[in-house]
Amino acid sequence: MGFSTKQIHAGVKPDPTTGAILTPIYQTTTYVQPSVDEYLSKGFSYSRSGNPTVRALENKLTELEGGADCATFGTGMSAVTATMLAFLSAGDHAIISDVAYGGTYRLCTKVLTRFGIEFTFANGANIDDVASSVRENTKLILTETPANPTMKCTDIAAVSEIAKKAGAVHAVDNTFLTPYFQRPFELGADLSVHSTTKYMDGHNATVGGAVISRTAELAEKVKFIQNSTGSIMSPMVAWLTLQGCKTLSVRMDQQSANAMAIAEFLEAHPKVEQVCYPGLKSFSQHELSSKQATGYGAMLWFEVKGGLAAGKKLMDSVELWSLAENLGSVESLITHPVTMTHADVEAEERARVGIIDGLVRLSVGLEDKEDLIEALENALNKV
Amino acid sequence: MSDFYEFDTLSLHAGQTVDKEFGARATPIYQTTSYVFPDTDTASSIFNLERGGHAYSRITNPTVGVLEQRIASLEGGSAAVCTASGMAATFCGITAILSQGDHIVASSQMYGGNISLMKNTLPRFGITTTFVDPTDIDGFSSAIQDNTKLIYGELIGNPGLDILDLEAIAKIGSEHNIAFMVDATFNTPYLCRPFDFGANITMHSVTKWMGGHGAAIGGVVVDGGNFDWGATDKYPTISEAYAPFQGINLWEEFGPSAFATRIRAEAMRDFGPSMSPMNAFLLLQGIETLSLRMDKHLSNTLKILDFLSNHQQVSWVSHPSLPSHSSHELAKKYLPKGAGSIVSFGVKGGREAGKAFIENVELASHLANVGDSKTLIIHPATTTHSRIDAEALVAAGITEDMIRLSVGLEDVKDLQSGFEAGFRAARKFAGG
Repeated sequence: MGFSTKQIHAGVKPDPTTGAILTPIYQTTTYVQPSVDEYLSKGFSYSRSGNPTVRALENKLTELEGGADCATFGTGMSAVTATMLAFLSAGDHAIISDVAYGGTYRLCTKVLTRFGIEFTFANGANIDDVASSVRENTKLILTETPANPTMKCTDIAAVSEIAKKAGAVHAVDNTFLTPYFQRPFELGADLSVHSTTKYMDGHNATVGGAVISRTAELAEKVKFIQNSTGSIMSPMVAWLTLQGCKTLSVRMDQQSANAMAIAEFLEAHPKVEQVCYPGLKSFSQHELSSKQATGYGAMLWFEVKGGLAAGKKLMDSVELWSLAENLGSVESLITHPVTMTHADVEAEERARVGIIDGLVRLSVGLEDKEDLIEALENALNKV
Repeated sequence: MSDFYEFDTLSLHAGQTVDKEFGARATPIYQTTSYVFPDTDTASSIFNLERGGHAYSRITNPTVGVLEQRIASLEGGSAAVCTASGMAATFCGITAILSQGDHIVASSQMYGGNISLMKNTLPRFGITTTFVDPTDIDGFSSAIQDNTKLIYGELIGNPGLDILDLEAIAKIGSEHNIAFMVDATFNTPYLCRPFDFGANITMHSVTKWMGGHGAAIGGVVVDGGNFDWGATDKYPTISEAYAPFQGINLWEEFGPSAFATRIRAEAMRDFGPSMSPMNAFLLLQGIETLSLRMDKHLSNTLKILDFLSNHQQVSWVSHPSLPSHSSHELAKKYLPKGAGSIVSFGVKGGREAGKAFIENVELASHLANVGDSKTLIIHPATTTHSRIDAEALVAAGITEDMIRLSVGLEDVKDLQSGFEAGFRAARKFAGG
């Protein structure tokens, strides 16, 4: 079954009672059991532990990633947290991409260190750096690729090899490319982590997260944390995400095509210092991107000549593009990571990993690319 | 669900069979447009009304269906159809049985939207209305014409709060074989079930007390199942062959739910004012606490009436529970638990004082709704009844200084302090 067919039909079936073609929103806390002996015979007892609408989404995401099972969460951050808590304990060590979403960095450095977990932030563009970061107590490697916001890419297959040798679990944050473009399990990874808030929903309607596991054994550990810590997804969010998923491939194709056109426009513009998009030949890891993914996604960044001051001027005056956090939606968004998404990463660390002050991040949406380009051009003219 | 259960039990359980697939305790929200048919024979029999079942959510939806059955059960009716708003319910109820050339006799004291529908809109389709003073029973009789097909009124009139004498009017309807439809929004089935007193159809804006939280707009028409549509040739839409469905005769096929079936087959299918499943779910949640909320609405109302009646800046207070109200005796008869939580009163100093009060009152929200769990307040002359002319305004019992209050569930002490802020601002217009 092809991806587009799966994104529509996988995990869901018409309601057996009424024939309703869409999965009902089971907005219920609990489930009436037929008898004490038949407890859980219909599969559900309490909606923290499982809910039929949420389960439908988990089944769909499992099939889209080609995994064994999935657990969904209230947010992308709770999916990352559950990944950490499922495989790390006090005294353990994890290797994290040195460029990652600011929230992931904050969770590691400000929260989980309080529980005796150690982290190394390794340069995923340099496999030797990842390999040499491995310690005896390394239990998890979390790779974010392409990484937010610099678009640094990591060779998933190579890191999976390192993880396997180290006896560690390799989790890939696949939010930016989704299983439509990038398939971590086929490259040897163990877990695929998502903020479903982004492309899975696609409409800026929900916040949610998911962890898909390659094996049932891994899934069991994640599910245990999901139920124990209770950071679950609501049935309404699951339902909206189920609908969003149905157009994932068409949105990804169109948004990526728009992103390519915008990247080319920016690259040719005299007021632009640099553009970073994996689809551009000038992208330093273009070859790796082309090898391990079937598309380049719709995230990119650029720097205006004149750095931070010029970039701010552009972000404050640009029309059509919304100055906002979040990414992956049908609406095009423009973000200044240094003051917004990555404000909690220390200035020295930002400088070390290439999150420069003038970096302007674009999440390219579904609008007509001509309109998006015209809006950027007008804003650049004012700089 | 057995109709022998008591009110509170019905408000929690009626209409719902626990989800068969997973046992979900709450009603699932069937947020779906359509339903997969097992085979073509089943499909065609559902389309032809030969069997129940769901085809398309404009016409029926399982979540909305639970709400419909729950309300029908609470109201003591045979069937109910939910609509996207209370106005849609009124419109569907009327157009199910009236056509060009037909006539309505209606109370003159009604929500401005109802008056506007009958006075301005329905005449464009050849349906005319004579409005009569709801306290003038003879007026109802004498307004009846050969082409009168419906008697319509609000049990508790908005905003004058006159009570409709249900039995007397039902008797007139029955003598002339004319259906009697009651807007029961202000009373809810908890305070009065109009079918017990001879009404034939009720409608509710379930946006109000039934939902109770100001969260969802919705309406419902309930078929009393107690009208003989075939006794005369007045109601061909129900008692004659219905061409779009192979000439089915709804009265013969559906008997006591023929009226509701006509709304389903025609209004929902052709006009399409369907309630959304999400709204039905929210409204079901509201109905689960209907009696608890109504009891508190009523006890708060009595306390507020006491407060207002003793306030020196209040020129008059109107509520059917007050012996001074002209409908006091009717209220005792039809609304023994209490006459609802709408209160109207005048602020000394007329229009300017009323305006100052409204603009400065705290806690009570200034908006055009009633029946929320929060206390709401409005100036009818400039808002809900602004589209009707001065003459009709007088007939509707509205004065320029009138303030309409929908008493909510807050602590009364806090409401009183909020009101005092309004009265302080109104003081300079009070004179003396």
